[in-house]
Amino acid sequence: MTNSRTHIAFVAPAIILMLVILIFPVFVAATLSFTDYSLGNKTFNWVSWENYEALLKRSSYKKMFSASLTYVFIVVPFSVVLGLGSALLLSSLRFGSEIYKTIFFLPVMATLLAMAIAWEFTVDPIIGVANATLKSGCEVKWFYSLMTGSWRGGEPLDSWYGLGCVEGMPNWLGDRKLALGTISFIGVWQAFGFNMVLYLAGLTAVPRELYNAAQMDGADTAWKRFRLVTWPMLGPSHVFVVTITSIRSFQVFDTVEALTQGGPSKATYVMVYAMFEKGIKQNLVGIGSAITIVFLAFVLILTLTQVYFVNRRVHYS
Amino acid sequence: MASITLSGVTKVFGNSRVLNTTNLEVADGEFLTLVGPSGCGKSTTLRIIAGLENQTTVNVMIAGKKVNDLRPSRRNLAMVFQSYALYPHLTVRQNLEIPLKLRDLSFAERIPLIWSCVPGAREKVDKIGKVVNEIAATLKIEHLLDRKPGQLSGGQRQRVALGRAMVRKPAAFLMDEPLSNLDAGLRVHMRAELAGLHRSLKTTFIYVTHDQAEALTMSDRMAVMIDGDILQVGAPNDVYNDPKNIRVAEFVGSPKINILPGRTDPSGVLSCLNVNLSRRLRESVAGDVSIGLRPEHLSLQKKNAENCFLGRLTYKENLGSDVFLYVTINDEAHQVIARATPFEGHDVAIGDDVRLYLVPDKIIVFSADGNRLQLV
Repeated sequence: MTNSRTHIAFVAPAIILMLVILIFPVFVAATLSFTDYSLGNKTFNWVSWENYEALLKRSSYKKMFSASLTYVFIVVPFSVVLGLGSALLLSSLRFGSEIYKTIFFLPVMATLLAMAIAWEFTVDPIIGVANATLKSGCEVKWFYSLMTGSWRGGEPLDSWYGLGCVEGMPNWLGDRKLALGTISFIGVWQAFGFNMVLYLAGLTAVPRELYNAAQMDGADTAWKRFRLVTWPMLGPSHVFVVTITSIRSFQVFDTVEALTQGGPSKATYVMVYAMFEKGIKQNLVGIGSAITIVFLAFVLILTLTQVYFVNRRVHYS
Repeated sequence: MASITLSGVTKVFGNSRVLNTTNLEVADGEFLTLVGPSGCGKSTTLRIIAGLENQTTVNVMIAGKKVNDLRPSRRNLAMVFQSYALYPHLTVRQNLEIPLKLRDLSFAERIPLIWSCVPGAREKVDKIGKVVNEIAATLKIEHLLDRKPGQLSGGQRQRVALGRAMVRKPAAFLMDEPLSNLDAGLRVHMRAELAGLHRSLKTTFIYVTHDQAEALTMSDRMAVMIDGDILQVGAPNDVYNDPKNIRVAEFVGSPKINILPGRTDPSGVLSCLNVNLSRRLRESVAGDVSIGLRPEHLSLQKKNAENCFLGRLTYKENLGSDVFLYVTINDEAHQVIARATPFEGHDVAIGDDVRLYLVPDKIIVFSADGNRLQLV
């Protein structure tokens, strides 16, 4: 075998495909990020680190990083906790869990673009169901006092709900302060079903005998058994779920494109949307590529962290 | 230390009844084995005693106290599981500490870093450490204390599981097939060690196994369970030599007891395949019976004599110290197994016609419905 070159021929197709499909585009993007190239131009100029400097300095890109990171830091914890909670509840059900699983998994299977349109109607300030429901609550005394805090002596008009009853309910997607929160809410709604399925799979791998042993050892409350057995035994699931959710949250695009187009005043200007706007809509390939490279760096860091944890900490055998 | 009593316990899963009315008394300090084929309800019985499974009806008593509604941790029992059920993310030391920490420390005292601020916690933790060290020394696992279960061999995990059961000094040990994941050599070694442990701890042991050899070698008394019923409880010797039921006789003993069709004539005299046994039933009932013969009660015979079967040797199983001969008799209608010494076994070859002598004193007779019939 040492003298033959056949082995090279055997691995060549895989290596060539990998280079052409995966490595080469990244390399091209990295190269373009140092140019001012526009699609269709015959030539381009090297601009060195100009594109990256723009990413760090211009306020619209600062907003981009802040929007993406805020989205990730809202969606990841909420969808992970909700996913774990619903998985624990479902695994304790004796019957009916199939129905719940299907319902919670629906948002994952549905096309997010179609769902985004449904959400647009739901949160529309004038014809939306959300605000109509809130509005009708103004007439219901106990609900009003609960939401405004007047039951514990607060002034109703100091609360957002009391104000909303008088001046109209919030514009969920149109308000600069609320838009990213609304988009994140939809993101959590969409992501937690997937996390639930991952956690359910993780839970089936926890040996029943460990729970019995924990009971015998004195873990007589569900919380103690969760701390002693469930949480640590789900270690590999935690790492996988958090990584996958982070990467998917960084990749959020379709809800933004369908509902806000990055607005209002760049409040929902997330990275992938910026990539799309600069690189495709405005044909500024150079800056688009620079965003892409930064984006890839984020994803790479997440992936390497996962690999580290998988190898070091959470595998017990 | 405590006695354990089950009275009228039954267990129903859905529509199927896995445990018929079960009564069992385990004396203080006794080593009792529940033995039976898989699916006979022995593990369920153990789990009911532990409190991991709810009995469908009536009582479990530990040390004279009714524990029906008591949580497993409050019953002061310890259990060793077949898969050991060690916490894989904790070191051996932490695994051994867990039962004591959960019992003796308050919530605040179990929180990392905070515990050291709680008055009195340091003494408690030191005491737990001392107990763990003692147990580790007893089981000779001190050098493993800082490893994780994943880095241990099967035998070492077995010891850690035993240690985790021992640290709390429970009223009784429950063991659910603890040796069945070990290799053959280690299993025999651990049998002796467990029996030794029982002698030194002088605590009640309830041991579940499907391996009748474990039951025969280790226990003070054994309870044979088949299909949800405890068929016989007694010292291993009594169960082996004096089975009350044909199913018990067939389950206990390896190789299996030979069962041959027999008859009693109107005067109650027994015969088996045309061999007159010249034994008589205490209560004479004419008709068909089953005759049980242990392999060691059949022997090769050179000359023609009374009480002999003629047959052909079909297979020889050489175990070194013994040779088991598989012989078809009565025109190959029945096969019996006979034990021979290596010397005797050497003399015969497969295909030879042989003559088997049966010891009439040792025959065990069962009625057609499987119950034991006494001889005069």
